[in-house]
Amino acid sequence: MAAYSGPPDSRRLTAIGASVRSGTNRSPNPTADVLIVGSGASGSVAAARLAAAGFDVVCLEQGEWVHTADYMSSHPEAELAWVQRWSPDPNARRNPADYPLTGESDIRPVMYNGVGGGLVQWAAMWQPLLASDFRVRSLDGVADDWPIGWADLAAGYEQVARDLSVSGLAGDPALPEMAAYPNPPVPIGKVGMAAARGMDTLGRHWWPGANAIASRRHGALAACQRRGTCMLGCPENAKATPSLTHWPGALAAGARLVTGARVAEIPLDDRGRAIGAVYLDRNGVEHRQPAHVVILAANAVGTARLLLLSTSARFPDGLANSSGLVGRRLMQHPYSTVTAVCEEPLDSWQGPWGQNIYSLEFAETRPERDFVRGSKWMVMPHGGPMFAVAEFHDAHRHEGFEAIWGENFHRAAAEILGHAFTWGIQAEDLPEEHNRVVLDPEVRDSSGLPAARIEYRLSENSRRILAFGAARAVEAAEAAGATATFVRDLWPTGVGHVLGTTRMGDDPKHSVVDRWCRSHDVPNLYVIDGGVFVTGGSANPTATIMANALRVANRMIDRRAEQEVSP
Amino acid sequence: MSAPLPSTEQRRTLAALADVLVAEGRGMPAASAVGVAGDLLDRCLAAAPTLAAPLLRVLDEARTCVPAAFVRQLATDRPDDFGVLSTTVVGAYYLSAEVRDLIGYPGQEPSPLPVTGEPDYLDMLERVYERHRGYREAP
Repeated sequence: MAAYSGPPDSRRLTAIGASVRSGTNRSPNPTADVLIVGSGASGSVAAARLAAAGFDVVCLEQGEWVHTADYMSSHPEAELAWVQRWSPDPNARRNPADYPLTGESDIRPVMYNGVGGGLVQWAAMWQPLLASDFRVRSLDGVADDWPIGWADLAAGYEQVARDLSVSGLAGDPALPEMAAYPNPPVPIGKVGMAAARGMDTLGRHWWPGANAIASRRHGALAACQRRGTCMLGCPENAKATPSLTHWPGALAAGARLVTGARVAEIPLDDRGRAIGAVYLDRNGVEHRQPAHVVILAANAVGTARLLLLSTSARFPDGLANSSGLVGRRLMQHPYSTVTAVCEEPLDSWQGPWGQNIYSLEFAETRPERDFVRGSKWMVMPHGGPMFAVAEFHDAHRHEGFEAIWGENFHRAAAEILGHAFTWGIQAEDLPEEHNRVVLDPEVRDSSGLPAARIEYRLSENSRRILAFGAARAVEAAEAAGATATFVRDLWPTGVGHVLGTTRMGDDPKHSVVDRWCRSHDVPNLYVIDGGVFVTGGSANPTATIMANALRVANRMIDRRAEQEVSP
Repeated sequence: MSAPLPSTEQRRTLAALADVLVAEGRGMPAASAVGVAGDLLDRCLAAAPTLAAPLLRVLDEARTCVPAAFVRQLATDRPDDFGVLSTTVVGAYYLSAEVRDLIGYPGQEPSPLPVTGEPDYLDMLERVYERHRGYREAP
């Protein structure tokens, strides 16, 4: 076994980083200590931590830098940005860096490809998993337990919350004890108060939302200005995204971030160790980036796709796929909404558009219900007039053309705009092997690589969770004083949470990576994105993805002398 | 690549179709009256360029048709094309400053967080705490 002692001299590495930044290092692609594929939630955490520890880090990102000036969120056309240019659906957005998602699927994943990945467009909801989420087999007899537990991520949750300037209120009795968030919660606003009164009347759990949105100037973030366009990018830089929170530090510590670099393959040496990556630049020119250790952080669709692309005599079914599970067990957080329309003005276009409040009332299994596990709920504002029209039309479409167009078109703004809030119902999606990512046999991306084909069917359990949740949310809306409620049963486009396609576990026959997220098959290959989730919980996954990435990076630093690498 | 600009004739067709979708009434102006086929259309297409090509195709097709009948048939038979037309009209209509004033929508404007003392939900939160003390432990 080739022993790897990590960076011998951090001063030397800092100097290399400085020369790259100043443009004086002309040597093509020197071997990196660590190569990271993907610059989003997990990749940015690993890059910042490893670079700070003196590792020579290279990150390959297929997208580009996204600058504050690129956002349309401060323009009057902000709502129109959702149609295409800032659509979360890559098939609608069609940026050169986006790869097509094909296949017939009950829920089509959404994602962003660029520096920061999905955190360019996320709603910044900060939600740790429940303690029980790690033990669903033991507690509820379904799916599998994680090889790690809440306590293994506690320090990571706390550190990353600081790094992302999270605003929230600790002390939620539904969660294990946590440190105080670095910022007080963003005011829950009229929207949150209305929803909270409903939950209070019904005696249900709710809590002020925690969001990676700064309620005051903190770290790299400015204070929130409640513009309400968080998912289109915050023009005030009040929403945490890696280009603000992690990449400046990583680059200052010497990491190198290569944009416009679409990885096509992770090649191996003759002993089955990863030797770096083959990637295509914007012009389709092939490059090789050698590295001692490779970390995949391209989300549960992108990483699975890359592993399936990386076939060899040793791994004819895809790299690190001796278990046959690469790409399988895709989970997506099926999602329904109930919109409450109230007589009182709620200024409901006003942000932030994270979570005003959330509820874990229905997140746990209860024996009296006809499903296992449950849903996390969150209250959000309702947006501007185009959102009001969409809601109105969805609710009244069955009444015919005249009901929603012509003179009646104006009812949407008159009845909904400024008077509505939305309960989002986010179901835990249990893993099923037939829900999977495969390579499309025909469709290719702009680099000529096979597209990712999604094969996903909503389970009966998830369907029941959503139906139950919607019925309970209507009750909550009515208790809040709603004069009308609009239910959307299942959103056909996902909420950007793709999980489970490279699950972690102790048994190589039934998992892709071990508890430290290292491939069972390839000793110097790691996966740190949401693909490693064993089960999905119902919480928004980013907090857990980032906490876990930090846990793994710390372990790599601590055990670098034991890390087997390619020569 | 910027979207192709509609011709005068295509704008005239759009104005007629748009008024079928967004008619005058309930104190609100019709779509054509606020200029959805003029500058607002250009702004809409600049914000969402993929609307342009299918929209222009629909407008050429509708040129000699009866607007109300054409729009209704489009809604029934060709939902994708109807989606392009309706998204364009609705998006352009709500770009109008006059319309925004009338519906009381200021746009997604910045508004500093209020400087407040204790939040006014603490009594409700106390009750949550009392009711839900103790999360489900995991082995």
